[in-house]
Amino acid sequence: MLRISRDLLIKLTYLLVASLLFVSVGIIMYAENPERLIQGVWQEKEWHLEKDNAPHQNLTVAMLSKGLRDEILQELEEFHHGVWKFDGNRVIHPDGGVIRDEMEWYIKGRGHILELRRDGKPLESFQIQRIDENSMVLHLNLDLQVKGVIKIVLERIADREEYAKKV
Amino acid sequence: MLRKYSNHRTNSDNIKLGALTAFSAGMVNVISVCVFFAFTSNITGYYAVLPQEIAKGNWYQAAVVLLWILLFFSGSLLSNLLIIHGKSRMGQYVSHAIPVILELLCVLFVGLYLDFFYGDSLQETEFLVGALLFAMGLQNGLTASISNSVVKTTHLTGLTTDLAILVSMFTIQANRSNKALVDKFHLLLSILGAYFAGGLLSGICYVYYHNFTFYVACFVLLIIALYDFYKLARVKQLFAHRKRAFAS
Repeated sequence: MLRISRDLLIKLTYLLVASLLFVSVGIIMYAENPERLIQGVWQEKEWHLEKDNAPHQNLTVAMLSKGLRDEILQELEEFHHGVWKFDGNRVIHPDGGVIRDEMEWYIKGRGHILELRRDGKPLESFQIQRIDENSMVLHLNLDLQVKGVIKIVLERIADREEYAKKV
Repeated sequence: MLRKYSNHRTNSDNIKLGALTAFSAGMVNVISVCVFFAFTSNITGYYAVLPQEIAKGNWYQAAVVLLWILLFFSGSLLSNLLIIHGKSRMGQYVSHAIPVILELLCVLFVGLYLDFFYGDSLQETEFLVGALLFAMGLQNGLTASISNSVVKTTHLTGLTTDLAILVSMFTIQANRSNKALVDKFHLLLSILGAYFAGGLLSGICYVYYHNFTFYVACFVLLIIALYDFYKLARVKQLFAHRKRAFAS
């Protein structure tokens, strides 16, 4: 039976910890991260309303009561047209291209929180459930007329390069 | 509070150490949630998040969580290395105080970085959270090591379990007069209360003074590091005074 000396094992442990540290730092430095992925133009596809005491409901943007949707996005007039435009300077542009009050976006946590601020004050924070080149799923905890989680599914309609050229 | 080791420590030493370090841990944890949306005093949750992120194929997020766990580990490792190897070279008090000083420097670094350099980027956030987890690892390693694992200031899950066990044991009359159990109960309650109070103070401080809260946490850590220094200086002063009195 193969026996490894304890002196060797402790060295292997240190080597393992150091390797894991280097690998994780390398991935953080060079891998595609949510902050870069989110840049571009996103179109809302559907909203899912997930309540504790009600069956799961799938709602398209058109189906969702306008009153409820506007109340949820009360402070976020820029998103009332269903198009979310994130630029590289962390500014969100409204659909018409005119900025009423500049609003900034920030990614926090381990890359799983999207925070929106106006004049440096936090307005809303969403949990990024999934993000890739084509789609993004955001969760929003709400406590308005209904208590539950809103799941917002967005689809990329213009990539970063296209959007950067346009801007 | 810091200069005694293992079984030489009294319950009062443990209560002082536990309460003050738990207070600073509560402060750091709450402010890091406010600023970075990430917990920094405990890593139990991250052990659940890591496999979840790997399963989802979120390699970036998984790497971040892995780095945070490793930094907490490194903090505890460094703390214990200083304690076991530093005692013979620097003396017990200094080798126990260095992890607290390093922790203070980490928290101070985060506060200063936020005030003067922070650009709100994700990478900065990850490394600053990492610095706080490293600091908490240093603290947890120190308190657990010097108190023979009696004081664990950031391990609230285990603490709540121990507290519940004690409360159930106190339903028996004989246990209520058992000094060891009562002392342990007081210690756990002090840690729990201090952690909560630190978190509360941090939350209130953050509303009014924002990043200045980090400096308040540094002040608490400074008290922990220098408390025994003050006591040692005082004892030396008393000895010198008595020596002079005998000589005259």
